Amino acid sequence: MMLRVVLFLWISVAMTASLLFAPLVPVLEETTRVLYFHIPAAWLTVLALGWSMLNSIRYLVKRDLRADDHAAAAAELGLLFCIGATVSGALWAKAMWGAYWNWDPRETSIFFLLLIYTAYLALRGSIEDEEKRARLSAVYSAVAFVAVPFLVFVVPRMYQTLHPDPILNTRGKVDMDPMIRWCFTAMLVGFTGLFVWMQSLRVRVARLERRRDRETIAPALRVSTGGGRA
Amino acid sequence: MPQTGSRSAAAVWTLLRKECRSEWRTRYGLNAALLFAVASLTAVSFAAGRMANRPDVLAALFWIVLLFATLASLGHAFVREVEGRTMLLLRLVASPTEIATGKLLFNLLFLLVVEGVTVPLFLLLTGAPPVRWGPFAAVLALGTVSLAASSTLVGAVIAQTRGRGALFAGVSLPLLLPVLAAAVAGTRDMWASSPTGGSVRLLAAYAVALIAAGLLLYEHLWED
Repeated sequence: MMLRVVLFLWISVAMTASLLFAPLVPVLEETTRVLYFHIPAAWLTVLALGWSMLNSIRYLVKRDLRADDHAAAAAELGLLFCIGATVSGALWAKAMWGAYWNWDPRETSIFFLLLIYTAYLALRGSIEDEEKRARLSAVYSAVAFVAVPFLVFVVPRMYQTLHPDPILNTRGKVDMDPMIRWCFTAMLVGFTGLFVWMQSLRVRVARLERRRDRETIAPALRVSTGGGRA
Repeated sequence: MPQTGSRSAAAVWTLLRKECRSEWRTRYGLNAALLFAVASLTAVSFAAGRMANRPDVLAALFWIVLLFATLASLGHAFVREVEGRTMLLLRLVASPTEIATGKLLFNLLFLLVVEGVTVPLFLLLTGAPPVRWGPFAAVLALGTVSLAASSTLVGAVIAQTRGRGALFAGVSLPLLLPVLAAAVAGTRDMWASSPTGGSVRLLAAYAVALIAAGLLLYEHLWED
């Protein structure tokens, strides 16, 4: 409870400071503000998908369904933050480049990620047996993550991009106004806290669902098949 | 049970021969792929005419024709075993990695055969500009390997689910998008006389990563 209150206050203060008090970057003007939402969302996408992949591998090694719960929850949240990053990026692109979508390498990459992880959820939806679902989706998630470093780190650096890293980040290190940096870091930390909280909620729901299924459906099956072993 | 390298190689070779023989017996996978390739090629070149001055369109069409021709048949290798209930028998004589490697090599061979017909026809019918053979062969070979590696993996996963046919294309296409994007970019640059090094390196890295991931993961695909 206490942690949730702290998280709420943290994000509220960080967001207020970012939107009202942080200075603007000369070329970007008011659109600088999207930075405090867009980059944390993109960062959480990679973090969540990485967490999903790590838990998929943990499932394959240990065969513990709790790892599968984590992998599925993280993939769902990764997709959610990915949509957040895509939409905020598109709005920013409309303001700066005049069109919502330009097939810039970064836009292309994030769109591919969206599709890859939507396919992951479609795959999960098509398998009923929970052990089999966990095993097959863990394999897919591990393969899917092969694409992530290429899409996130290689492609945007290989092809010509309109993305404003070169404006904010000229010498390959974080080169920002101190106030912008404080707000940005605070939002990054707040968002990460938000992810941890949402992840734990989703995992708890998954566990409760499994317990409900075991406690209600299994006895019902025993009754309908004539009392099971007895 | 660890097996010696030569025994594994023998198992993979036997599997590859078995795959080729069972494909050759019916040939419907190959026939379907070739028919599909020729039909889509005819539609494309009939609709768009000769496109020597549009390397970007040409490159995209080239990979779309190849992809659509092969995608329907590539997932087939594992589905055939599951539907014929022969998977268990295969598992008795070979390890999952050997089975999957055999199927991967078969898919690769299958793609090469389809390309052997499709590529010359494509160049002829669309009036493509002269090909720079080095970059073209590199992009084509690496694209083919990535295509085969990822569709073998996805095929192995999908074969164990319900609604296999519809799911295969839906699940494997997103994984193939990075490959296709790089392959299309490489082919376009080859026709436009620009350097293709970046795309070739990207394709090579992706192909290696996919094959490595596959070899590590096949072990976990089959149980019970």
